Amino acid sequence: MSVVDSPSAPPAQQPPARVPAGGRARRKRRSATSGGFAPLVLTLPALLLLAGLLGYPLVRMVVLSFQSLGLRQLFGDLPATDVGLDNYTKIFTDETFYLVVARTVGFTVVSVLATVLLGLGVALLMRRVAAGVRIAMIVAMMFVWAMPQLVATQTFRWLVDSDFGVLNYLIDLLPGVDFANHSWFADPIQGWTVITTIVVWAGIPFIAITLNAGLTQVPKELLEAAVVDGASAWQTLRSVTLPILKPLMIIVTTLSVIWNFGLFTQVWVVRNGRPEDEYQVLATWAYSTAFKNNNYGLGSAIAVVTVLLLLGVMAFYMRQMFKIGDVD
Amino acid sequence: MVATAPQTAVRRRRRKPRESDTPTVGRSKTGTAVANTVGVLFAIVMFFPVYWVVNTAFKPAPEILQFEPTFFPHTFTLDNFKSAFNAPFFQQDLLNGVIITCGAVVGALLVGFLAALAIARFRFYGRKSIILVVLSVQMVPFVAILIPLFLMLQKVDLTNSLLGITLVYIVLILPYTVWTLRGFIQAIPRELDEAALIDGASRFQVFWKIILPLTGPGLVATSVYGFIQAWNEFIIINTLNDQAHQNLMAWLLQNQTSRGTFWGPLMAGSILTALPVVIFFLIIQRNIATGLTAGAVKG
Amino acid sequence: MKRRIAVAATLAATLIGAAACGSNSDSSDTPDAAASVNGAGKTIKVWLMVDAQSGWPEVVKQANERFTQATGAQVQVDYQQWTDHLAKLDTTLAGSDVPDVVELGNTEMPKYVFNGAFAPLDKSQFENSAQWLTGLSAPCELDGKTYCVPYYAGARVLLYRTDLFSKAGLTAPKTYDDVISAAKALKQKNGSDKQFSAFYMPGKYWYAAMAWVHGNGGEIAKKDGDKWVGALSEPGAQTGLTKWAELAKTYSSGDPTKDENDQDAVYAQGKSGMLYGNGWELGAVQEQPKDPNDPASAKVKTKVNGKVATAPMPGIPSFLGGSDVAVTAKSTNADLAAKWAQIFTDAKSQEGLIAKGVLPNATSLLDKAAAIKGNEATAQAAKETWFVPMAPKWSDVESANVLQNMLASIATGKATVPDAAKAADAKINEILNAS
Repeated sequence: MSVVDSPSAPPAQQPPARVPAGGRARRKRRSATSGGFAPLVLTLPALLLLAGLLGYPLVRMVVLSFQSLGLRQLFGDLPATDVGLDNYTKIFTDETFYLVVARTVGFTVVSVLATVLLGLGVALLMRRVAAGVRIAMIVAMMFVWAMPQLVATQTFRWLVDSDFGVLNYLIDLLPGVDFANHSWFADPIQGWTVITTIVVWAGIPFIAITLNAGLTQVPKELLEAAVVDGASAWQTLRSVTLPILKPLMIIVTTLSVIWNFGLFTQVWVVRNGRPEDEYQVLATWAYSTAFKNNNYGLGSAIAVVTVLLLLGVMAFYMRQMFKIGDVD
Repeated sequence: MVATAPQTAVRRRRRKPRESDTPTVGRSKTGTAVANTVGVLFAIVMFFPVYWVVNTAFKPAPEILQFEPTFFPHTFTLDNFKSAFNAPFFQQDLLNGVIITCGAVVGALLVGFLAALAIARFRFYGRKSIILVVLSVQMVPFVAILIPLFLMLQKVDLTNSLLGITLVYIVLILPYTVWTLRGFIQAIPRELDEAALIDGASRFQVFWKIILPLTGPGLVATSVYGFIQAWNEFIIINTLNDQAHQNLMAWLLQNQTSRGTFWGPLMAGSILTALPVVIFFLIIQRNIATGLTAGAVKG
Repeated sequence: MKRRIAVAATLAATLIGAAACGSNSDSSDTPDAAASVNGAGKTIKVWLMVDAQSGWPEVVKQANERFTQATGAQVQVDYQQWTDHLAKLDTTLAGSDVPDVVELGNTEMPKYVFNGAFAPLDKSQFENSAQWLTGLSAPCELDGKTYCVPYYAGARVLLYRTDLFSKAGLTAPKTYDDVISAAKALKQKNGSDKQFSAFYMPGKYWYAAMAWVHGNGGEIAKKDGDKWVGALSEPGAQTGLTKWAELAKTYSSGDPTKDENDQDAVYAQGKSGMLYGNGWELGAVQEQPKDPNDPASAKVKTKVNGKVATAPMPGIPSFLGGSDVAVTAKSTNADLAAKWAQIFTDAKSQEGLIAKGVLPNATSLLDKAAAIKGNEATAQAAKETWFVPMAPKWSDVESANVLQNMLASIATGKATVPDAAKAADAKINEILNAS
């Protein structure tokens, strides 16, 4: 559920860690037991919790998407009314929906590309710099990585504040540039640049450090051989390094796509809980519809559509995990 | 890149190869200098927002709200920290946060360890599907489920309570816990199990006396990760609970009022709130970093 | 069930006792403020907004004390933030552990009244109810019943820098044109500082822009039979919006996407000539609390301390802001709650509010308010005000930011006034008439 917080340590462990484990576990499978009732008893509490607080709400979300539920029902303890496909019709005939989806997809593509490419660049840079500089980079990235999403967003909100923010002050110092009181959110392109910067800034450490670890797996002999054979840096990167990094890069890219598609916090906080139309993405739109406009049925329908859109990516991720051999 | 005597550069390396070892074949001095400069710039730019939080937190309000920002507090003050600490609900939310987070972590460890045991040590019908569920469930955006979750919990009076949100957080960190503990348990050789069983130990004793202690590092890693996740969460708790039952991260939002944002207490409060997370993170990151490059996080 | 019987019984007793006065409550569910309930051992929960905590805590204290003396029950007050109190209210009212009394802004009331969140009250039990300010009482009425009680009011006035004015040889503006010429003169004298605003006007300040609309004969929306129709494209509204846009674009160097939340902090920097704000902002721009989280915190003087005065904004009627208090329908202490609301809004409490420079809830008390130094302009402004369309879904228009977004697109130059107004009208029609 890393949408709720910055992508942190866990997925980084999994890809490189699993390869040897898979092999060892496969060898051992022959002597595994099927223990009768024991495994079921052991998994029961987890299954109950997951079913109750995750499975059931998911089902309820789908059911709710076919109903209409507003404040009156909530305050009066009345049941929701069935409206069939009305909510979905409303969504699919609303121009806003397509704009929101386009915006969400656009943001995901741009932010993931930026994060992965910059992360890769930083990882390569880390292999190149002196030890002291590398440590400085790692320390900086650790603090960034550790910073909670909300704190990071508030910080950037403060940095770009139109009246008192330091960014406007610094840019204004440039000769010939008038940036005093400049609003970063008047123009949605600039606003989205700020939001994307927050996400990319927070996401680089995870990618950089994970890929850096992957880079250490690239056999030095191969790299040296390539140089001896007269390959340029770019050719070495393309033909030697990247192919070896490929599985790792696919995993981190897929995870980033899944996380960034569910973008919520940054937009919500940066627009003070009231994102304008040009800032709405699927997650914020679903939330606003449900909790601000108190239209819980319609909000659920939007949420269902969001999950369906992600299903393709999720299936791809699962296939990759199985391929790498993490799951036996 | 200008190639300069590649062969000699290679041959100079005699000491034991380290993680930080990189081929220096074909590297130029200017190339390294450029790289170093870029690296330093990168570190500065990345770190700037962190520095700005600290800078702002120690300035008094009049110095914060001025058109020309200062890069170092001209008047160094702890007022913002005092203001945040004594602000309405700060201490209550701190207590709430500790209770909820610890409760969620302990709960997830208990439940997750058992489930991980089952998946790692037994072969049973439905095992693959459970693994599938654990993996896929991590990907559903929680904001989506928030709507029915809110309605559901409200019906059983679990909104506006610490218990309800703790249960939700357990579910939040459960998939990762199960997945990671599974990996750790799998790494424990089955021969140990079998040897103990042959010696007459019951299955339960095997789990309790052999597997559990050896999973130690895994329990630590997952509990720290779970702590961070639960501590940082604010959207769900903000939606489900009233003011008396928020956590510290959600408290930060109180600083945005219709009289403007209280930047000083917000930055100071942010530091206080992020402190446990940063400390824990820096602790386990060392292990993660070694684990990453060694190729295994186990044991 | 038990509650209904108890209320009915008390009501019956009151009726018999008050038959001579002719009081006539017919609903058996109407909480009775006049009922003598023994509240010993009970605590009622009250939700008030933070303004009371920092602005007039003594008023709350004396009301609580009088209430405890009269009934024996205790009061627990929870202070809410304007930014999220509605979301919290929704969550709480959907459950069963509800507060007994809730304060809401007057524009927020209709939605909750319409959705059955509050219990009907007997108007005659509340002091000065016959002279209640319409802007505060109209949101409470639905189908002939009263669902909330006016608490306090606020009106907006012109704030201006006395020192800058005297340097430019200006006096307090008497007509709208005076305001514009004053702004021009200030801009000429101080315009070299690009951060200077002759008249600071944030782009999303809809209370201001709509005041301009009403001042030029327009309105936001009107009722056409059964439907609501957005009226921002009408000539009066268009004139008002154009004039407002001219002011904002020419004389304000403020962020066109900000609303008025930060305007006091900006004005306190000393780089603005005039401001359109609530009466209490006069104090806020001259003094800031050392510790914003501590209502009893010491105050720090700002750069403009002693240099600001207020005057009624000529030609522009003020929006009548303010709050009402209501008893929740699900409350388990409805009678006690009604009694507390009665005490909290009676003449004695209003006196406390007036002394703090806040406007009272009744026209008969406005002259008393005008007697307070610094409040003359505000009390004057409260005599002629406008209000938002009395539609049940009005607060959805507010939370959808329709007006704010329209104004921001005008102020940033993204859209012309007629186009932006047309788009906003379409949105207003959609939201107000949604089923």
